[in-house]
Amino acid sequence: MNAKELEQLLLLEQSGELSPAQRRRLDAALAASPEARRLRDRLHRISAAIPAPAARPAPDAAARIAARLRQDQAPARAFRPAWKPALAAAAALALLVGVRTFHAPAPVSSESAAAAAEEEDWTDPLDAEFTELENLLLAISSGDSLEITEL
Amino acid sequence: MKGPVETNPALEDDDAKLLAAYRRGDADALGRLVEKYKRPLFGFLSRFAANPGEADEWFQETWVRAIEHMNIFRQKNLPGWLFRIAHNLVIDAARRRKPDCSLDAPLPESGEPLADRIPAAALSPADEAAGRDLGRHIEAAAALLPVEQREVFWLRMDAGLPFKEIARIQRCSINTALARMQYALEKLRATLAPAYRELQETGP
Repeated sequence: MNAKELEQLLLLEQSGELSPAQRRRLDAALAASPEARRLRDRLHRISAAIPAPAARPAPDAAARIAARLRQDQAPARAFRPAWKPALAAAAALALLVGVRTFHAPAPVSSESAAAAAEEEDWTDPLDAEFTELENLLLAISSGDSLEITEL
Repeated sequence: MKGPVETNPALEDDDAKLLAAYRRGDADALGRLVEKYKRPLFGFLSRFAANPGEADEWFQETWVRAIEHMNIFRQKNLPGWLFRIAHNLVIDAARRRKPDCSLDAPLPESGEPLADRIPAAALSPADEAAGRDLGRHIEAAAALLPVEQREVFWLRMDAGLPFKEIARIQRCSINTALARMQYALEKLRATLAPAYRELQETGP
Protein backbone atom coordinates (compact mmCIF):
# COMPACT_ATOMS: atom_id res chain seq x y z
CA MET A 1 0.00 0.00 0.00
CA ASN A 2 1.45 3.37 -0.95
CA ALA A 3 1.28 6.51 1.19
CA LYS A 4 -1.55 8.07 -0.83
CA GLU A 5 -3.70 4.98 -0.53
CA LEU A 6 -2.94 4.74 3.19
CA GLU A 7 -3.99 8.34 3.72
CA GLN A 8 -7.24 7.75 1.83
CA LEU A 9 -8.05 4.82 4.09
CA LEU A 10 -7.22 6.87 7.19
CA LEU A 11 -9.48 9.67 5.98
CA LEU A 12 -12.30 7.20 5.34
CA GLU A 13 -11.71 5.71 8.77
CA GLN A 14 -12.06 9.15 10.35
CA SER A 15 -15.32 9.76 8.50
CA GLY A 16 -16.67 6.30 9.34
CA GLU A 17 -16.89 5.26 5.70
CA LEU A 18 -14.51 2.30 5.54
CA SER A 19 -15.86 -0.85 3.94
CA PRO A 20 -15.09 -4.12 5.77
CA ALA A 21 -12.41 -4.98 3.20
CA GLN A 22 -10.83 -1.53 3.57
CA ARG A 23 -10.98 -1.91 7.35
CA ARG A 24 -9.00 -5.15 7.15
CA ARG A 25 -6.39 -3.61 4.84
CA LEU A 26 -5.97 -0.58 7.07
CA ASP A 27 -5.70 -2.68 10.23
CA ALA A 28 -2.98 -4.76 8.59
CA ALA A 29 -1.08 -1.63 7.51
CA LEU A 30 -1.36 -0.07 10.98
CA ALA A 31 -0.18 -3.27 12.63
CA ALA A 32 2.81 -3.57 10.32
CA SER A 33 3.97 0.02 9.95
CA PRO A 34 4.97 2.56 12.62
CA GLU A 35 4.90 5.20 9.86
CA ALA A 36 1.24 4.38 9.21
CA ARG A 37 0.47 4.88 12.89
CA ARG A 38 2.37 8.17 12.89
CA LEU A 39 0.35 9.36 9.88
CA ARG A 40 -2.87 8.49 11.69
CA ASP A 41 -1.73 10.42 14.76
CA ARG A 42 -0.93 13.45 12.64
CA LEU A 43 -4.36 13.37 11.02
CA HIS A 44 -6.03 13.16 14.43
CA ARG A 45 -3.87 16.00 15.64
CA ILE A 46 -4.98 18.28 12.80
CA SER A 47 -8.63 17.33 13.38
CA ALA A 48 -8.34 18.02 17.08
CA ALA A 49 -6.67 21.38 16.50
CA ILE A 50 -9.42 22.80 14.29
CA PRO A 51 -11.00 25.61 16.28
CA ALA A 52 -14.74 26.08 16.24
CA PRO A 53 -15.60 29.14 14.17
CA ALA A 54 -15.95 32.18 16.40
CA ALA A 55 -18.68 33.77 14.28
CA ARG A 56 -22.31 33.16 15.13
CA PRO A 57 -25.45 34.09 13.19
CA ALA A 58 -27.38 37.09 14.39
CA PRO A 59 -29.59 36.24 17.40
CA ASP A 60 -32.70 37.12 15.42
CA ALA A 61 -31.64 35.09 12.36
CA ALA A 62 -34.57 32.67 12.61
CA ALA A 63 -37.07 35.54 12.94
CA ARG A 64 -35.59 37.28 9.92
CA ILE A 65 -35.67 34.05 7.88
CA ALA A 66 -39.32 33.56 8.81
CA ALA A 67 -40.09 37.18 7.86
CA ARG A 68 -38.39 36.76 4.48
CA LEU A 69 -40.30 33.56 3.82
CA ARG A 70 -43.59 35.33 4.59
CA GLN A 71 -42.54 38.27 2.42
CA ASP A 72 -41.56 36.03 -0.51
CA GLN A 73 -44.80 34.06 -0.41
CA ALA A 74 -47.25 36.87 -1.20
CA PRO A 75 -45.46 38.47 -4.20
CA ALA A 76 -44.61 35.05 -5.56
CA ARG A 77 -48.30 34.21 -5.72
CA ALA A 78 -49.38 37.59 -7.10
CA PHE A 79 -46.68 38.25 -9.69
CA ARG A 80 -45.25 34.87 -10.49
CA PRO A 81 -44.03 35.07 -14.09
CA ALA A 82 -45.78 32.49 -16.20
CA TRP A 83 -42.63 31.56 -18.12
CA LYS A 84 -40.71 30.38 -15.07
CA PRO A 85 -42.74 27.29 -14.23
CA ALA A 86 -43.08 26.53 -17.92
CA LEU A 87 -39.32 26.83 -18.42
CA ALA A 88 -38.64 24.70 -15.35
CA ALA A 89 -41.05 22.04 -16.57
CA ALA A 90 -39.51 22.05 -20.05
CA ALA A 91 -36.02 21.81 -18.60
CA ALA A 92 -37.08 18.96 -16.33
CA LEU A 93 -38.65 17.10 -19.23
CA ALA A 94 -35.63 17.64 -21.48
CA LEU A 95 -33.24 16.49 -18.79
CA LEU A 96 -35.28 13.44 -17.91
CA VAL A 97 -35.55 12.46 -21.56
CA GLY A 98 -31.80 12.97 -21.87
CA VAL A 99 -31.12 10.92 -18.76
CA ARG A 100 -33.29 8.07 -19.94
CA THR A 101 -31.82 8.12 -23.45
CA PHE A 102 -28.26 8.18 -22.18
CA HIS A 103 -28.53 5.73 -19.32
CA ALA A 104 -31.24 3.32 -20.34
CA PRO A 105 -31.22 1.75 -23.80
CA ALA A 106 -34.48 -0.06 -23.07
CA PRO A 107 -37.63 1.84 -22.07
CA VAL A 108 -37.77 2.40 -18.33
CA SER A 109 -41.01 2.76 -16.45
CA SER A 110 -41.49 5.84 -14.31
CA GLU A 111 -41.77 3.57 -11.25
CA SER A 112 -38.42 1.91 -11.85
CA ALA A 113 -36.76 5.25 -12.60
CA ALA A 114 -38.15 6.68 -9.40
CA ALA A 115 -37.02 3.62 -7.49
CA ALA A 116 -33.53 3.96 -8.94
CA ALA A 117 -33.46 7.61 -8.00
CA GLU A 118 -34.44 6.74 -4.47
CA GLU A 119 -31.40 4.54 -4.01
CA GLU A 120 -28.80 6.05 -1.78
CA ASP A 121 -25.81 4.76 -3.73
CA TRP A 122 -23.75 7.86 -4.52
CA THR A 123 -22.22 6.19 -7.56
CA ASP A 124 -25.58 5.88 -9.28
CA PRO A 125 -25.32 8.04 -12.44
CA LEU A 126 -29.08 8.55 -12.47
CA ASP A 127 -28.82 10.07 -9.02
CA ALA A 128 -26.13 12.43 -10.24
CA GLU A 129 -28.40 13.54 -13.09
CA PHE A 130 -31.24 14.17 -10.67
CA THR A 131 -28.86 16.30 -8.64
CA GLU A 132 -28.15 18.37 -11.75
CA LEU A 133 -31.87 18.65 -12.36
CA GLU A 134 -32.44 19.90 -8.85
CA ASN A 135 -29.73 22.49 -9.21
CA LEU A 136 -31.01 23.62 -12.61
CA LEU A 137 -34.51 24.10 -11.27
CA LEU A 138 -33.15 25.92 -8.24
CA ALA A 139 -31.03 28.17 -10.46
CA ILE A 140 -33.97 28.96 -12.75
CA SER A 141 -36.18 29.91 -9.87
CA SER A 142 -33.53 31.91 -7.99
CA GLY A 143 -31.91 33.62 -10.98
CA ASP A 144 -28.40 32.32 -10.15
CA SER A 145 -25.67 31.69 -12.65
CA LEU A 146 -25.35 27.99 -11.96
CA GLU A 147 -22.97 26.03 -14.15
CA ILE A 148 -24.57 22.92 -15.57
CA THR A 149 -22.05 20.16 -15.95
CA GLU A 150 -22.03 16.55 -17.11
CA LEU A 151 -24.97 16.96 -19.48
CA MET B 1 -13.47 17.93 14.36
CA LYS B 2 -16.38 19.73 15.96
CA GLY B 3 -20.06 18.88 15.99
CA PRO B 4 -20.51 16.38 13.17
CA VAL B 5 -23.71 16.78 11.20
CA GLU B 6 -25.82 13.73 11.78
CA THR B 7 -27.74 12.36 8.84
CA ASN B 8 -29.31 9.27 10.33
CA PRO B 9 -32.95 8.44 9.64
CA ALA B 10 -34.15 9.32 13.14
CA LEU B 11 -32.91 12.87 12.81
CA GLU B 12 -34.35 13.13 9.32
CA ASP B 13 -37.71 12.16 10.81
CA ASP B 14 -37.28 14.86 13.41
CA ASP B 15 -36.49 17.40 10.68
CA ALA B 16 -39.53 16.30 8.68
CA LYS B 17 -41.77 16.76 11.73
CA LEU B 18 -40.38 20.23 12.40
CA LEU B 19 -40.83 21.21 8.74
CA ALA B 20 -44.40 19.93 8.76
CA ALA B 21 -45.08 21.86 11.96
CA TYR B 22 -43.65 25.03 10.41
CA ARG B 23 -45.90 24.62 7.38
CA ARG B 24 -48.88 24.29 9.69
CA GLY B 25 -48.00 27.70 11.10
CA ASP B 26 -45.74 26.83 14.04
CA ALA B 27 -43.08 29.54 13.74
CA ASP B 28 -41.10 28.04 16.63
CA ALA B 29 -40.49 24.90 14.58
CA LEU B 30 -38.44 26.86 12.05
CA GLY B 31 -36.52 28.43 14.91
CA ARG B 32 -35.68 24.98 16.26
CA LEU B 33 -34.44 23.82 12.84
CA VAL B 34 -32.33 26.94 12.37
CA GLU B 35 -30.90 26.48 15.86
CA LYS B 36 -30.14 22.82 15.21
CA TYR B 37 -27.99 23.44 12.13
CA LYS B 38 -26.74 26.96 12.80
CA ARG B 39 -23.29 26.00 14.09
CA PRO B 40 -22.11 23.78 11.21
CA LEU B 41 -23.91 25.76 8.50
CA PHE B 42 -22.94 29.24 9.67
CA GLY B 43 -19.46 27.98 10.52
CA PHE B 44 -19.02 26.72 6.95
CA LEU B 45 -20.37 29.93 5.39
CA SER B 46 -18.25 32.14 7.61
CA ARG B 47 -15.11 30.38 6.34
CA PHE B 48 -15.85 31.74 2.85
CA ALA B 49 -17.64 35.02 3.48
CA ALA B 50 -15.76 38.30 3.19
CA ASN B 51 -17.17 39.50 6.51
CA PRO B 52 -19.70 38.49 9.22
CA GLY B 53 -22.44 40.49 7.48
CA GLU B 54 -22.03 38.49 4.28
CA ALA B 55 -22.04 35.21 6.24
CA ASP B 56 -25.28 36.31 7.92
CA GLU B 57 -26.81 37.20 4.56
CA TRP B 58 -25.79 33.82 3.05
CA PHE B 59 -27.11 32.00 6.11
CA GLN B 60 -30.55 33.56 5.68
CA GLU B 61 -30.48 33.04 1.91
CA THR B 62 -29.62 29.36 2.37
CA TRP B 63 -32.58 28.79 4.67
CA VAL B 64 -35.00 30.79 2.54
CA ARG B 65 -34.05 28.84 -0.61
CA ALA B 66 -34.08 25.53 1.26
CA ILE B 67 -37.57 26.07 2.66
CA GLU B 68 -39.02 27.61 -0.50
CA HIS B 69 -37.82 24.76 -2.71
CA MET B 70 -38.27 21.94 -0.24
CA ASN B 71 -41.58 20.77 -1.70
CA ILE B 72 -40.37 20.62 -5.26
CA PHE B 73 -37.68 18.04 -4.76
CA ARG B 74 -37.23 14.66 -3.19
CA GLN B 75 -35.12 15.94 -0.34
CA LYS B 76 -34.72 13.47 2.45
CA ASN B 77 -31.60 14.86 4.00
CA LEU B 78 -32.03 18.42 5.27
CA PRO B 79 -28.38 19.10 6.20
CA GLY B 80 -27.24 17.76 2.82
CA TRP B 81 -29.77 20.05 1.09
CA LEU B 82 -28.70 23.05 3.19
CA PHE B 83 -25.02 22.51 2.44
CA ARG B 84 -25.71 22.02 -1.26
CA ILE B 85 -27.40 25.43 -1.39
CA ALA B 86 -24.61 26.91 0.74
CA HIS B 87 -22.08 25.43 -1.71
CA ASN B 88 -23.86 27.16 -4.63
CA LEU B 89 -23.72 30.49 -2.81
CA VAL B 90 -20.04 30.05 -2.03
CA ILE B 91 -19.16 29.07 -5.61
CA ASP B 92 -21.21 31.94 -7.07
CA ALA B 93 -19.43 34.38 -4.77
CA ALA B 94 -16.02 32.92 -5.67
CA ARG B 95 -16.79 33.42 -9.37
CA ARG B 96 -17.84 37.02 -8.81
CA ARG B 97 -14.69 37.81 -6.90
CA LYS B 98 -11.15 37.88 -8.17
CA PRO B 99 -9.59 34.50 -8.89
CA ASP B 100 -8.65 32.65 -5.74
CA CYS B 101 -5.25 33.34 -4.33
CA SER B 102 -3.62 29.92 -4.35
CA LEU B 103 -0.90 28.58 -2.09
CA ASP B 104 0.90 27.45 -5.23
CA ALA B 105 0.73 30.83 -6.94
CA PRO B 106 4.18 32.38 -7.31
CA LEU B 107 4.69 35.76 -5.70
CA PRO B 108 5.27 38.45 -8.32
CA GLU B 109 8.35 39.89 -6.65
CA SER B 110 10.26 36.68 -5.94
CA GLY B 111 8.53 33.91 -7.88
CA GLU B 112 8.48 31.70 -4.79
CA PRO B 113 5.22 29.92 -3.87
CA LEU B 114 2.94 31.88 -1.59
CA ALA B 115 2.81 28.87 0.74
CA ASP B 116 6.42 29.54 1.69
CA ARG B 117 5.41 32.84 3.21
CA ILE B 118 2.17 31.92 4.96
CA PRO B 119 3.08 31.61 8.65
CA ALA B 120 4.76 35.00 8.78
CA ALA B 121 2.31 36.74 6.48
CA ALA B 122 -0.99 35.39 7.77
CA LEU B 123 -0.48 35.71 11.52
CA SER B 124 -0.01 38.84 13.55
CA PRO B 125 3.20 39.31 15.57
CA ALA B 126 1.15 38.66 18.72
CA ASP B 127 -0.04 35.36 17.31
CA GLU B 128 3.47 34.43 16.30
CA ALA B 129 4.75 35.31 19.74
CA ALA B 130 2.03 33.30 21.40
CA GLY B 131 3.10 30.42 19.17
CA ARG B 132 1.84 26.85 19.29
CA ASP B 133 -1.59 27.94 18.17
CA LEU B 134 -1.90 25.25 15.56
CA GLY B 135 -5.60 25.86 15.03
CA ARG B 136 -5.04 29.47 14.01
CA HIS B 137 -2.21 28.43 11.73
CA ILE B 138 -4.54 25.90 10.10
CA GLU B 139 -7.29 28.49 9.61
CA ALA B 140 -4.87 30.99 8.11
CA ALA B 141 -3.33 28.45 5.75
CA ALA B 142 -6.67 26.89 4.75
CA ALA B 143 -7.99 30.33 3.77
CA LEU B 144 -5.54 30.29 0.87
CA LEU B 145 -6.46 26.90 -0.54
CA PRO B 146 -8.35 26.75 -3.86
CA VAL B 147 -12.07 26.97 -3.15
CA GLU B 148 -12.91 23.31 -3.97
CA GLN B 149 -10.18 22.01 -1.66
CA ARG B 150 -11.11 24.51 1.03
CA GLU B 151 -14.72 23.37 0.82
CA VAL B 152 -13.83 19.72 1.23
CA PHE B 153 -11.49 20.52 4.09
CA TRP B 154 -14.07 22.49 6.09
CA LEU B 155 -17.05 20.29 5.22
CA ARG B 156 -15.10 17.33 6.52
CA MET B 157 -13.05 18.77 9.37
CA ASP B 158 -15.49 21.30 10.76
CA ALA B 159 -19.00 20.37 9.63
CA GLY B 160 -18.14 16.67 9.98
CA LEU B 161 -19.81 15.58 6.74
CA PRO B 162 -18.79 12.20 5.31
CA PHE B 163 -17.02 12.14 1.93
CA LYS B 164 -20.08 10.55 0.35
CA GLU B 165 -22.14 13.62 1.25
CA ILE B 166 -19.35 16.03 0.27
CA ALA B 167 -19.17 14.34 -3.14
CA ARG B 168 -22.92 14.89 -3.58
CA ILE B 169 -22.61 18.54 -2.61
CA GLN B 170 -19.71 19.18 -4.98
CA ARG B 171 -21.26 16.96 -7.68
CA CYS B 172 -18.12 14.89 -8.06
CA SER B 173 -17.04 11.34 -7.30
CA ILE B 174 -16.02 10.32 -3.81
CA ASN B 175 -12.50 9.74 -5.17
CA THR B 176 -12.35 13.35 -6.36
CA ALA B 177 -13.52 14.57 -2.96
CA LEU B 178 -10.86 12.43 -1.28
CA ALA B 179 -8.19 13.67 -3.67
CA ARG B 180 -9.15 17.30 -2.97
CA MET B 181 -8.82 16.60 0.74
CA GLN B 182 -5.41 15.04 0.20
CA TYR B 183 -4.20 18.01 -1.87
CA ALA B 184 -5.44 20.32 0.89
CA LEU B 185 -3.66 18.32 3.59
CA GLU B 186 -0.47 18.16 1.56
CA LYS B 187 -0.40 21.94 1.17
CA LEU B 188 -1.33 22.51 4.79
CA ARG B 189 1.40 20.14 5.96
CA ALA B 190 3.97 22.05 3.94
CA THR B 191 2.68 25.36 5.24
CA LEU B 192 2.39 24.17 8.81
CA ALA B 193 5.77 22.48 8.99
CA PRO B 194 7.31 25.28 11.11
CA ALA B 195 4.36 25.25 13.50
CA TYR B 196 4.59 21.47 13.80
CA ARG B 197 8.29 21.61 14.53
CA GLU B 198 7.73 24.22 17.20
CA LEU B 199 4.93 22.16 18.67
CA GLN B 200 7.05 19.04 18.79
CA GLU B 201 10.07 20.82 20.24
CA THR B 202 8.23 22.66 23.01
CA GLY B 203 5.06 20.65 23.44
CA PRO B 204 4.28 18.31 26.33
